[in-house]
Amino acid sequence: MSASAAIETFVNNIDASAAAYLDACVHCGQCAQACHFYEATGDVRYTPVWKLEPMRRVYKRHKAPLSGIKKMFGLVPDEVDEDMLKEWEVLLYDSCTLCGRCTIVCPMGIDIAGLVRKSREAMVAAGLVPEGLVGAAERAIEIGSPLGIKPETLAKIVAEQAEEVGIPIELDKVGADYMIILSAMEILNFYEVIGALARIFKQAGISWTISTEAYEATNIGVQMGNKDIARTLVQRIVDAAEKLQVKYVVSPECGHAYSALNWEGPNLVGKSYNFQVIHILELLDQLVHEGRIKTKAELDQRRVTFHDPCQIVRRGGVVQQPRNLLNLVSGNFIEMENAGVANICCGGGGGVSANARAEELRIKSFAAKKKQLDAVGPEALVTACGNCRNVLEEAIDEYGMVLPVLGLTELVAEYLDD
Amino acid sequence: MTFLEITEGPLWVLASSVFVLGALWRIVGIIRFGRKPDISIPRASALMGAIKGQFLHFVPHGGFSFRTLYHLVAGYMFHLGLFGLLIYAAPHVLFLKENVVGFDWVTMPRWGFILTAEIAFAGLILLWIRRISDPVMIKISDADDHIASWLTFLAMLTGCLALEESHDSLRALHMLVVEIWLMYFPFSRLMHAVTFMFSRGYTGAFFGRRGVVP
Amino acid sequence: MGKPMKERPTFKHLTVMACLMLLSVWVFAAGMTGSFDLQSQAYAQTGGNVPGKSLGNQSDSDFWRKLRRGQPFNLSGTPGGVQVLIQSPGEEWRSLRNGPLSYWGGLMILVSLAFVVVFFLVHGRIKMTGGRTGRAVPRFSQPERWIHWFIASLFILLAITGLFVMFGRYVILPIIGQQAWSAFASASLQAHNLLGPLFIVALIIMLGVYLKDNIWQKGDLTWVLQGGFFSKGHPPSWKYNLGEKFWYWLLFFAGLAISGSGLLLDFPWLAERVQQLQLAHLIHGGSAVILIAVSLVHIYLGTIGVEGALEGMTQGYVDEKWAKEHHGWWAEEAMAEGEDVVEGAVQTGQPDNMPAE
Repeated sequence: MSASAAIETFVNNIDASAAAYLDACVHCGQCAQACHFYEATGDVRYTPVWKLEPMRRVYKRHKAPLSGIKKMFGLVPDEVDEDMLKEWEVLLYDSCTLCGRCTIVCPMGIDIAGLVRKSREAMVAAGLVPEGLVGAAERAIEIGSPLGIKPETLAKIVAEQAEEVGIPIELDKVGADYMIILSAMEILNFYEVIGALARIFKQAGISWTISTEAYEATNIGVQMGNKDIARTLVQRIVDAAEKLQVKYVVSPECGHAYSALNWEGPNLVGKSYNFQVIHILELLDQLVHEGRIKTKAELDQRRVTFHDPCQIVRRGGVVQQPRNLLNLVSGNFIEMENAGVANICCGGGGGVSANARAEELRIKSFAAKKKQLDAVGPEALVTACGNCRNVLEEAIDEYGMVLPVLGLTELVAEYLDD
Repeated sequence: MTFLEITEGPLWVLASSVFVLGALWRIVGIIRFGRKPDISIPRASALMGAIKGQFLHFVPHGGFSFRTLYHLVAGYMFHLGLFGLLIYAAPHVLFLKENVVGFDWVTMPRWGFILTAEIAFAGLILLWIRRISDPVMIKISDADDHIASWLTFLAMLTGCLALEESHDSLRALHMLVVEIWLMYFPFSRLMHAVTFMFSRGYTGAFFGRRGVVP
Repeated sequence: MGKPMKERPTFKHLTVMACLMLLSVWVFAAGMTGSFDLQSQAYAQTGGNVPGKSLGNQSDSDFWRKLRRGQPFNLSGTPGGVQVLIQSPGEEWRSLRNGPLSYWGGLMILVSLAFVVVFFLVHGRIKMTGGRTGRAVPRFSQPERWIHWFIASLFILLAITGLFVMFGRYVILPIIGQQAWSAFASASLQAHNLLGPLFIVALIIMLGVYLKDNIWQKGDLTWVLQGGFFSKGHPPSWKYNLGEKFWYWLLFFAGLAISGSGLLLDFPWLAERVQQLQLAHLIHGGSAVILIAVSLVHIYLGTIGVEGALEGMTQGYVDEKWAKEHHGWWAEEAMAEGEDVVEGAVQTGQPDNMPAE
C-alpha cells in the first residue's frame, strides 16, 4: 500500500464542491444522529464527518486556499500516514452505506456520502479495499456478475420463469424498445421478478429483452470507489444497448445500480447515451398513468409499509412513484416515520453487504431500522431494491422478527388483472 | 497616538483589509478548483435545487433528537443575537457610520441591546460547552473550533466590558479583540459564515438535477 | 486510536488554554487601563454628548440642584424619591461591606483554597485501584451535562467579575492606581450585571434537573459515618454522596438568595428604598463568598482530585471501576439496568480504543 498514492488521489479529487464542504463544516456533530451506525452503537467513530478525517487533513494541509501561510506557522494538520489509512479503511467501507441521510440534518448541507465516495477512491489508490469487494469486482469483470452468475445460468433462470408464467421471453432481441437489466440478487434470490415483469409488459404491450452480454445492473466499481471498474461495467451496458438498438434501458429494483447507470454512467463513459435510462418504478407508474396496465379492484389488506432504498429515493429522486404503485394495490399502506427522503437505510448499501467483515456491524445497525418498523408494526415490508431486500431479510431473521419482505414489482404483478 | 487611536486607525484598516482580502482570496480559491460538468440528463433544474438548498438547511429535517433541538435553539440564539448586536446596537451603528458606510439607521433601545447580548452570550456558551460535554463533538472538534469560539466569546465579552462607554481603554480593548477576530477569520472555520452558501448550493444543485432536494 | 494526534488537544489542554486566554485578556485590560487611561484626555463634550459614544454623558447638574433645594431624587436608581444623600444606614452598610464582609469573606476563600492545596499534598490524586475495567457506565445524561457546564461557565465569569468588584480595591487598585481601577471596576460590573440574569435562568433549570437524585436517601449517613472524603477506603453511596448533596442544597438556598438579591441590585427600580439594596448587597456578597469557597472544593474533586471523575461530566459515562469505588450502590443500580448502548462510548470488545483520560 502507499499513503502517497492515497494523498495524491485525495488532492485530485477535491474540487470546488468538496473544498466548500470541507471548509463549511463547523464540527457540530449533527450528522451523528442521522447515521444508523452511530445511532445503533453510540460509537463516536461512526460520526459521518469523522469518516472524512483523512480527506479533511489532506485538504487543509495540501490544498486549502491560504494553507501555505498556515503551513509557515505549523498550523496545518499532520500528514496522513499508513496507520491512519488502515484505520479509516474500516470506517469508510464498513460503517458507511453512502445512504446520504447525514446530509439532510447538516446545517451546511454537506454531501458527506459523496465525499466518502471520493475518499474510497483514495483507498483504492492505496490498495486498501475489503476482500469481499475485491472478490466481487473480480467476478463482475471476469464472469459478468459480482455473484458469479454466468450467461448460461441467466438463460436457464429466464427460461424457467418464462415457463412458469407461460410467456415467452426472448433474449438478445435486436430492435426491442426496452432492455431490462437485473441485479445479481434478483437473478439468484428473487427471480420471480422476471416472471412478474413478463406479465406486466405483456399486458402493457411492451417489446422488451434481456441481453446475455449485459444483464448485470449492479456496479461494484461505484461501491468500492474504483472508476476504471465502474466505467467498464457501465460501458458493457451501453455497448449491449447500442447493439440491440433499444430505446430504453430499464434500471431494476436495485439502489446503486440506478445511480451508477443514470447519474454517474454518462460521466464515467464520457458521453451521453443514445438511449434513455428509466427506473422500473418510473416505468410502472407511467404505464399505470397511461392506463396500459390494470390491477384488480380487490386490494391487499395486509398492513404494509415501504422501505425507501436510499439511492432510488433520497439520492435518486424517485420518491412519489413507489407510493402511487403501493396505493394502487394495497388498501392498508402505512408510512414509517421519516418516510421518503429521510428514511433510514437498511444497513447494507454502498458495498457493505458485500463486505463480510462488516456483517456484525451491519446486523447491529439494523436496530435503527427496527425502531422505525416497530413503531408501525407492519405485517409485510415492501421495498424496491434487491440488496435492501436481502439485507432486511437477513437482519429480520437475526432479530427473530416475523416480517415478510416483498419486492414492489412482484407485488404489482400479483395484483395484475390479466 | 493613543491606544484607542491605534485600534481605530491603522490597526482597524489593517484588520479589515486582511478580513476582506483574505476571505475573497479563500472564496475565489475554492471556486477556482472548479467542477467537472455533469453530462447525465437532469430530471429537474439544478439552479432551483441550489436555491431550494439554501433555505432547506436552515431547519434540519429527518427527526428531531435532543442533539438537533439543542443545536437548533442554541445556534439560532447565538447567531441571531450576534447579528442583532452587530447591526442594530447603537455603538456599532455609530462606528459603522463613521468608519465604514457613512450613514446610520435605526438602533435598538438600550434594554433590547442588553437582552440581545444576553441571548447571544447564552447561545455561544451553550454551543461551546457542547464541544466539551458531548462525545461526538469532543471527537470531531479541533483546535480551530475552540479558538474560533473563544475569540468570538472574547470579542463579545470585551464589548460587554465596555458597555458603560466611559473608558477609552475598554473601547480600545474591544476594538483590538475584534480586529484579531477579523484577521483570524479568513484562515479559520469562521469562514463557514460564507462557505455555507456554497456548500448548500452545491448539494442543492446536485440533488436538484435528480429531482429531489432532501 | 493509533497515534495521538497533535492537532487535537485534550480537554486538559483546552481548559488550560481557555484559562490562559481569559487571564491574558484581564491582565491586558489591567495593563492597558494602567498605562493608557492615565494619559487619556478629558472628553470634549458637544451638546452633552461625547463624540463616538452612543450613550452620551448625563449631566449631573439636575441631581445636584435637587439635592441643594431639598427636592426628592432617586438614590442609586431606586424609585422611592428621597431628599438625603448620606444616611446612617448607608454608613452602617458601608462599614459592614468594607469591614467584616470583605475580611471574613476573603479569609474564607483563602482558607478553602489552602484546604484544597493541603488535601492534595496529603492525599494526592485519588486513583482507581487496579486500573480501569474498560466498561462504560452512563453517569450524566445530556441535559445534566449541558446545564452543568452552562451554569459552571456563568459561575466562573460571575465569580471572577464579582471578586474584582469586591476585593479589587484592596488588591488591584494599589497596583494600577485609581483612574485605571475605575475602568477595571466599570468593566467588571458591566460584565457581572449582563451575565447575572442568565445565571438565574441556568440555576433554576439546574436545580430542577438535579433535584431527583439529591433528595435524602436511606444510607446517606453511612457515607459520612465511614469518613466521607477523608475515609481511607471508599464508603458506598447512591448517585450522589452526602457531600455532593450538601453542595446541591447549598446552591439551592445560597443560589436562590444570590439570585433574588442580584435581581434587586441589577434592576434597582425593583426596590422601594435604598436600604433594601444595602441589605440585598450584604446577602449577595455573603452568599457569594460561601459559594465560591465551597466551589473550589467541588472543582478540585471533580478535576484533579479524583481520577476518572471529570469524564463523567464530559463524555457522560465513567469507568465501571470508578462507579463501583465511588458510588457503589448507584453503580449496582445503573449496571443492573444494563443499557446496551452507552452513547459516545467506543464499542466494547475493543479495549485498545478506550478513550484516553
